Amino acid sequence: MDLPLAFDGTLFVQLLVNGLTLGSLYALIALGYSMVYGILKLLNFAHGDVYMVGAFIGYGTLSALGGPLSPNIGLLPLIVLMFLAAMLGAGLLGVVIERFAYRPLREAPRIAPLISALGVAFFLENSVLLLFGADFRSYNSFVLGSPHPERFELGPLFKPAFKVADVNVQRIQVAVLLITLALMVTLTFVVARTRIGKAMRATAYDREGAAMMGIDVDRVIASTFFMGSVLAGAAGVMAGLLFSQVFHLMGFLAGLKGFTAAVVGGIGSIPGAMLGGLLVGLTEAFATGYVGGRWSDLIVFGILIFVLLVRPSGLLGAKAIQKV
Amino acid sequence: MKKRLLVAALVAALAATAAAFGGNSPDRTRSAAVPAGADQALLTCGRTRSIGFAAPITGAAASLGQQMQRWGQFFVTRYNRAHRTKLRLVVGDTQLPDTAQAIQVAERFASNSQILAVVGPAGSQEVQVSTAPLRGGGLGNISGTATRTSLTTDGTRKGYFFRTVPNDDQQGPRVASWIRTRLHATRIVVVDAQNSYSTGLSDTVEKILKNAGLNVRRESVSEANTTDFSSLVARIPGDTQVVYTPWQLAPKAQLFGQQLRAAGKNARMFGSDGLFDPDNFKIPGSLISFFPIDLKSKVIAKYKKGPGKGKSDLFGLPTYVATQIVGRAIDKSCRNRSATRAEVRRNINTTVIPKAQSLLGFAVKFAQRLKLPIGPGDMQRPADFGIYQIQANGKYVRVG
Repeated sequence: MDLPLAFDGTLFVQLLVNGLTLGSLYALIALGYSMVYGILKLLNFAHGDVYMVGAFIGYGTLSALGGPLSPNIGLLPLIVLMFLAAMLGAGLLGVVIERFAYRPLREAPRIAPLISALGVAFFLENSVLLLFGADFRSYNSFVLGSPHPERFELGPLFKPAFKVADVNVQRIQVAVLLITLALMVTLTFVVARTRIGKAMRATAYDREGAAMMGIDVDRVIASTFFMGSVLAGAAGVMAGLLFSQVFHLMGFLAGLKGFTAAVVGGIGSIPGAMLGGLLVGLTEAFATGYVGGRWSDLIVFGILIFVLLVRPSGLLGAKAIQKV
Repeated sequence: MKKRLLVAALVAALAATAAAFGGNSPDRTRSAAVPAGADQALLTCGRTRSIGFAAPITGAAASLGQQMQRWGQFFVTRYNRAHRTKLRLVVGDTQLPDTAQAIQVAERFASNSQILAVVGPAGSQEVQVSTAPLRGGGLGNISGTATRTSLTTDGTRKGYFFRTVPNDDQQGPRVASWIRTRLHATRIVVVDAQNSYSTGLSDTVEKILKNAGLNVRRESVSEANTTDFSSLVARIPGDTQVVYTPWQLAPKAQLFGQQLRAAGKNARMFGSDGLFDPDNFKIPGSLISFFPIDLKSKVIAKYKKGPGKGKSDLFGLPTYVATQIVGRAIDKSCRNRSATRAEVRRNINTTVIPKAQSLLGFAVKFAQRLKLPIGPGDMQRPADFGIYQIQANGKYVRVG
């Protein structure tokens, strides 16, 4: 273990930026876990792989539009199209998963859909392995839009947006934070202020009661899966743009971290998922930066255990009330 | 209820993590359940001869395993076109780093009376755990990727295990010497990838450079499980001159290099043979140690056009040579239409591939005696590493 001897402001700010960026991705993934758990009490372990499929859809769109080194359209519309395709594709995938893997098991013992979720996860991973092979696919985002990608001249996404304490905050990092914020605000608005949001809250509170009040519960659940998966699709494209590489197993660990974030924040709670995601991202960045790469996962999952022991319902989770 | 569910979910998640990323217990061995006397059992060779092929076809290292499989199969296809008798690969998926799978694959091969010898497994830890079952079945094996020095120098696999890659104690000193005498670097960061291949090489290079009085800092990261290296990059001092990354996943090293550059750090990357991948690792100015292969070789060009689908997959190239050696040994053993596994092993041991026919750039002949750093089963000198530099246009040029 190599601990720094003195406080280094530049390192701190750099790790803070890295942690917030990474945490944004985890928060978007965590939201999907939380929403589905909130409404169905189901741990959708296939959610990380929906994120992976989103990243691949973004890659497919990028390739279809000329590839990263010579795109046929401008950078901004290209990225917008990648996001739209991935969000829509992932959203539809979420609906299909719910319809065929979870709905038939809705009245089955709780372990059945959990096993089904693991099955869907492996199904998605191996389908992508068969379709695209085991090779890493690259967004080439570091040189995307660069006038000289062949000379490895950084593209506009990785140019500094501004400087804080000698740290260059890259445009892509700012964009990820802003897009995440926008998606979270939209989701909060949808859940709090719209008809479907009200139906979702009612279904989460009492599914049978909601059905008796005339709410189409199947539609509400499908919508929940759609929204959660849309966020995972967006996170997939963000990961591709930030880290350039996508491959068929990328969803496993990201999904696990997203799940950790959801549990730390309080599974079932939307603000909790956001908070949990940011906390997990920051913990990972600071653990890597201050303690070393080999310790980061140990610390992140150690915190999960600690939070569960001290506050089983998570930081912002409501205490479960047992009906009698 | 909620609390119970959460705890159950946590246990499930941790178990899944352990299943996916754990199981990496290098020294776990157990005896194989194989037919008695398999070593000397006379097998009818037939027109088609089978070779066991152990590689990680799925799992975290699948991109490497599939390269190896493509190169192995490429040799078999070329051989079958040119010969009346045919070779066949019986593929076993070892799912590296789950060593339990490697044991199962080795046991399956040992019990399959059709198999005459084995190519693989890939990882040094897999070679260790496969030794007992393969040896129990009398099978010789050649790995094109396992580089841990002790595999040949500890004397436990003599006559059974061979490899078509030089070992860590050949590669490490070459790299350390280049860093010290050619780059004149004094501030070096060594980043191991938390696997046996990488830590072995890192230890060797770190030790030599520290003994030479240089400022060496050691870092560690799981290349397979890390998607973001930016926080690791933040730890690397700005005045670092060389970052040594003995990794195996070229796309991950590319990301690390890109994040290093994006953070405004100009340290030169130095990769090991695992990163010799012109399609995926192309950070200009970086150096890589690899065999002195002829990059313009017709065989490599044919591979690229054929199974490589535009990629040269050079990490898998020594596996081609391993399959080539097994093919020759089987041919020799099967001259009288029957062979024993012991016979095939002996013929592997004495096979020589002249320089003109070797894709590695040097004649391949196995050492018979221990002469450190080489042990029996290692390739004899001049098997060694060259140093390549990545040019501004991404091309690899040999510089030493």
